[in-house]
Amino acid sequence: MSPGIDPITLEVVREALSSIVREMRITLVRTAYSSILYEGEDFSCVLMDRQAQIVAMSKGMDHPLHIVPIAWSMRAVRERFGDDIAPGDIFLHNDPYTGGTHLNDVAMIYPMFAGGELFLFPVIRAHWADVGGMSAGSLSGRVTEIYQEGVRIPPIKVYERGRPNQAVLDLIFGNMRGPRDREGDFRAMIGTCRKAAERVEALLARYGQPALQACVEALLDRAEARMRARIRALPPGEYVYEAYLEGGRERLEPLRVRAAVRIAGDTVTVDLAGTSPQTAGPTNVGPAMAPTGAFTILKAFLDPGGDINSGAFRPLTVLAPEGTIVNARRPAPCGGMVEVKYCVESAVMGALSQAIDGKITGDIKGGGNHCYVGGPDPRDGGTFIFYEYPAGGTGAFEGGDGSSAVRAFTESDMTTIQPVEAVEQKYPLRVERTALRVDSGGDGQWRGGLGLEREVRLLAPRAELSVLAEKGILPPYGVAGGRSGAPNRFVVRRGGEVVEPSPLPGKVSAFPLGAGDVVIMQSSGGGGYGDPLERDPALVAADVAEGLVSPERADRVYGVLPSAGGVDAAATAARRRELRAARTTVTLGLADDLAERGVRGIAIAASAARRLDVAVGDVIELVPPRGAPLRAWIERVGDMTGDHARVSREALTMLALQVGATVQLRVVYRTR
Amino acid sequence: MLTVGIDVGGTFTDLTAVDETGRVLVTKVPSRPLDEAGAVLEGLAGLGIESRAVRRLVHGTTVGTNAVLERRGARVALVTTAGFRDLIEIGRTKRNIPVLFVPTFVRPRPVVPRPLRFEVLERILADGSALVPLEPGPLGETLERVLASEPEAVAVCLLHAYANPTHERLVVEALKARRPGLPVSASAEVVPEYREFERFSTTVLNAYLQPLMERHLSGLEQRLLESGYTHGVLTVGSSGGMMTVETARRLPIRTMFSGPAGGVSQACFLGAAAGLDDFITYDMGGTSTDVCLVEGGRPVIGTDNLVGAFPVKVAQIDLRTVGAGGGSVAWLDVDGSLRVGPRSAGARPGPAAYGLGGEEPTVTDANAVLGRMGVGGAIAIDAGLAREAIAMLAGRLGFGVEALAEGIVKIAVARMTASIREISIERGHDPRDFTLVAFGGAGPMHALPVADELGIPRVIVPPYPGNFSALGLLVSDVRHDDVRTRIGPLVAQREAIASAFAEMEARAAGQLETEGFDAGARRLERSLDLRYQGQAFELAVPIQQALVDPVAVAQEFHARHLAMYGHANPAEAVELVNVRLAASGVVDKPAPAAVRGASRTLQDAAAGRRAVWFEGRAVDSPVYARERLPVEATLVGPAIVEEFGATTVVFPGWRGVVDAFGSLRFERDGGVR
Repeated sequence: MSPGIDPITLEVVREALSSIVREMRITLVRTAYSSILYEGEDFSCVLMDRQAQIVAMSKGMDHPLHIVPIAWSMRAVRERFGDDIAPGDIFLHNDPYTGGTHLNDVAMIYPMFAGGELFLFPVIRAHWADVGGMSAGSLSGRVTEIYQEGVRIPPIKVYERGRPNQAVLDLIFGNMRGPRDREGDFRAMIGTCRKAAERVEALLARYGQPALQACVEALLDRAEARMRARIRALPPGEYVYEAYLEGGRERLEPLRVRAAVRIAGDTVTVDLAGTSPQTAGPTNVGPAMAPTGAFTILKAFLDPGGDINSGAFRPLTVLAPEGTIVNARRPAPCGGMVEVKYCVESAVMGALSQAIDGKITGDIKGGGNHCYVGGPDPRDGGTFIFYEYPAGGTGAFEGGDGSSAVRAFTESDMTTIQPVEAVEQKYPLRVERTALRVDSGGDGQWRGGLGLEREVRLLAPRAELSVLAEKGILPPYGVAGGRSGAPNRFVVRRGGEVVEPSPLPGKVSAFPLGAGDVVIMQSSGGGGYGDPLERDPALVAADVAEGLVSPERADRVYGVLPSAGGVDAAATAARRRELRAARTTVTLGLADDLAERGVRGIAIAASAARRLDVAVGDVIELVPPRGAPLRAWIERVGDMTGDHARVSREALTMLALQVGATVQLRVVYRTR
Repeated sequence: MLTVGIDVGGTFTDLTAVDETGRVLVTKVPSRPLDEAGAVLEGLAGLGIESRAVRRLVHGTTVGTNAVLERRGARVALVTTAGFRDLIEIGRTKRNIPVLFVPTFVRPRPVVPRPLRFEVLERILADGSALVPLEPGPLGETLERVLASEPEAVAVCLLHAYANPTHERLVVEALKARRPGLPVSASAEVVPEYREFERFSTTVLNAYLQPLMERHLSGLEQRLLESGYTHGVLTVGSSGGMMTVETARRLPIRTMFSGPAGGVSQACFLGAAAGLDDFITYDMGGTSTDVCLVEGGRPVIGTDNLVGAFPVKVAQIDLRTVGAGGGSVAWLDVDGSLRVGPRSAGARPGPAAYGLGGEEPTVTDANAVLGRMGVGGAIAIDAGLAREAIAMLAGRLGFGVEALAEGIVKIAVARMTASIREISIERGHDPRDFTLVAFGGAGPMHALPVADELGIPRVIVPPYPGNFSALGLLVSDVRHDDVRTRIGPLVAQREAIASAFAEMEARAAGQLETEGFDAGARRLERSLDLRYQGQAFELAVPIQQALVDPVAVAQEFHARHLAMYGHANPAEAVELVNVRLAASGVVDKPAPAAVRGASRTLQDAAAGRRAVWFEGRAVDSPVYARERLPVEATLVGPAIVEEFGATTVVFPGWRGVVDAFGSLRFERDGGVR
């Protein structure tokens, strides 16, 4: 501990700092103009220090997604302005390329000084309902360049030594829809920072700068020490995994995030080399988001109980190559930053699982699941926009099933569907069903949580449906032999027929709806944990009794057969032997000539392809006994004898298997 | 004849009795979470009063809250609209538990398992019309299955029942006809407002508690009857009003959060007598601290609450609870940080100083080490055991015992201070403009440093602070909260509002009539929940008459929005959501008795001197007996005031005066800092 700081003062100061952040939240809710802030609470508050370190955030409603990148925003300010920062200056920033998230999230940085030096100061990142761009609300799946997503604000001074820079404010608000609300939110952010600044001043007056500084350092050092202790306990080495975003419009053009997690001593490096080049669609991010995703996973699996501050971040280095989807350059759009962050999390989780003996959770829904229905409202002649983003099931873990239809551990605790009774008041819509999605949980010794399904009928003559969702093709993976959760699915039922609203699932743009059409939203289940044939038959029977798993699935996947009021133990044992024997397993060989154009390739024997009913271009997964499965695109079929499959040397490393090992294959996606 | 108030807390059950002359008797007995009635009878015996001398008995209970938290309620079946049986599980997809970054979290599942959720074919729309009528045939088939599942209670939760409860009533009648005596809760009866998840969740929990509350109340009544008490047992509800046995049986969910309500009621009662309108109540007990902001003599009533992870939409005094109390344990985190709470040593084993086997150091032990605890009281304090417990931790930190003890108190104070600051800011206030009213077993011991931290200039420690909440039960009125949802532009709702009030007022009049309140003893409070069109949440605006002037009400809404959120938009349309009525039956209350000068001088109240630690020094401090303090006496810190159930610590730099009601009124030496 820093000399001169006793644990009592330290704890009192820690409480005071987190109380300042909680007060910032309360003040902003109390004063914000737009409902996304005062009702949706889509904003976060934080205290920073002069080294651009996060000192305190609240552990309640603040979003890791907003908070962690603020360190990048602050560094961008320092790079741009150096020492030209004076009392009374206020900065604004939303530029993803220098540490922003997407353009809608606007950060305000409110520098404070002590003894002539930059000291502890408040920062807010808040979602502005509109920042200009090609469509209302600024986010669109149809963008090809960032300019279509709104006003890009590099680090700028909007106040200089206490005086507003009116010209720049006029320019900013002049390019946004609903400027009155934007200005209201802007003023609320300033007011909130001012209040926080007063509290910091009071702390300074009471403890003096040296003592307060020592407390801040001690708090960061402790969070760091906790993380380092946990990292030291991991086996050193390099662990690699890859996850995919479902790029493309007409057909799947996968985008890969490749994560190599290197553990050396008490440090972790996450190297994202091998990730796909940036794309002319919304799924790109600037430099801050990949580290945010990597940090979220490491903190959650290594030290969920410790304070969340930059000290905990110190043992982590993230290398995100420029020009890729995880560190894009101008003019790549960044509206789909949530989707990219989830993909980084999937990749890092898969890699980390190899270092922590597979003790990871099944994967989750992979993105925002944004679903919009909008059009003219015949009731009042205006237009309506209905927006929901249904949560899915969470992943299973060793010792427990996932939870159903709920926000996951990486996300802030927000509501994602509206009350039926509110929907039917506000929109020309009728909600006809809200239910758990049976059989959607990833099967395993521990089952993933179930997704939800919701059916919404259009009562107006016409409207349009737009969807931005991931994992509609490549579902959330199961781990340690557990199976994938069901993919996200957004379809339309029209006169008894189910209609696919887009060639590529989850990428729907203004699909025309007519009166009586029913939009069906089905969110993904969480990935399972462990071999489903190892699941306690009593738990399977309980799932069947609850209707969470169908009797067919209990038989076909879990091999559990009922008897009167229970489980037929003998029949179940026999059925399980039969199912185990029927699995497609192959002997692994090495292939150095796979083209691997942006995706992991595999060559499999014709016999295996026949048994799995797959062909070239289809996606299968190789299921190692521990950790996440390796997903691979079939490049060749049939140039080998017996049940063989050939993969690259790197694929073998990811599977932690040798040439000659046998591994189970499962189908993920058939192109036909 | 006596009026008795019984407040069941996490650690102690507090009892107070008041006679016609205003004489007050108090006692405490350890709480018995599984046998509240036993603790009540033990307490009555402890007060030394005969049950037959009791005219009215009011109790607060934690039976309901504990049953939900420990999942000990009834086997409930749910009957709901076809297509929506999982709505109670999916909710709004929020975790509602603090588990950010915890990958292995498990979302609590609803108390009704899936096989006990049944769907009926019917559908009401938002305007109250029936899209799909409820046919007796299919209903009968469903109910056969419901009853075959052997439920102990049934919750009937249909969509849009707030707009048209006919279908719910048909289901209830059909159930009653088939199985008389089976407790049934209908959503429009429990919470007649819109937003189905919150309404369903509340209704399901109400059904979950019905059989349990039935047993508790009958058991209590029976045992009291055997001991000679012949009147009904009143239960205090979460909005601070009392409920008759009939109401508590029908709507047990309204007893949730009732514990802290008594203290706030009593503070309001005393405040009214003493001319104090704006204050913050600070109620520190054994396991937690409750703080509440009172403006204009009335606490704010809110309806958005959670029990465990489940929403409960009942009218409740809007207060904040923080897990810091006398029993909060001081501990070292893995990184060497010193933490206090939120875990509490509870009633058993309790703080080490209680000598019941507790070994972990608590806030109470710290105070004992510092010489601040009174030694006489409901539980004897063993300062030696307290010292041992603190010394263990001090040794690991390389700290002096007293220095660590002061530190533990400081950390607890910091946590409580933060929560007071937050409730003030939420309502747009500066805590420095308020008086702190301190009570609870540990409140008066920490009130002055809490006030110091917040810059609060005035602190009041009322009489009987250790039994304050139980006293508050004696000044509560019988209260019925009711609501109707009427969504639409405010300007067009004048008639709808009037008819909603007429409906609710007729119902309330009937209830109060039955309960023996004549017209002169009834009080009505009306309010409207309003919002700007497009908002998803509402602000309550009190109104005087059932027939409103929409323009004036809208103006009031703009003003309140401005005060609450710092901005308002008078040009925007205001929408009505709910019409609310709180109907009270006013009971006669024991007047706050003027203090009889038991002695003439401060010296007559002297009960010795002892060394008390302040800021690292042992200071020889006078100790006074509260009951012997004369009116107008001035206490100058450092000093200790002891009484049954609480100790007031007068810190150096503060001085206090005993006022005519026996309250200690403190101000900082030399005025406001």
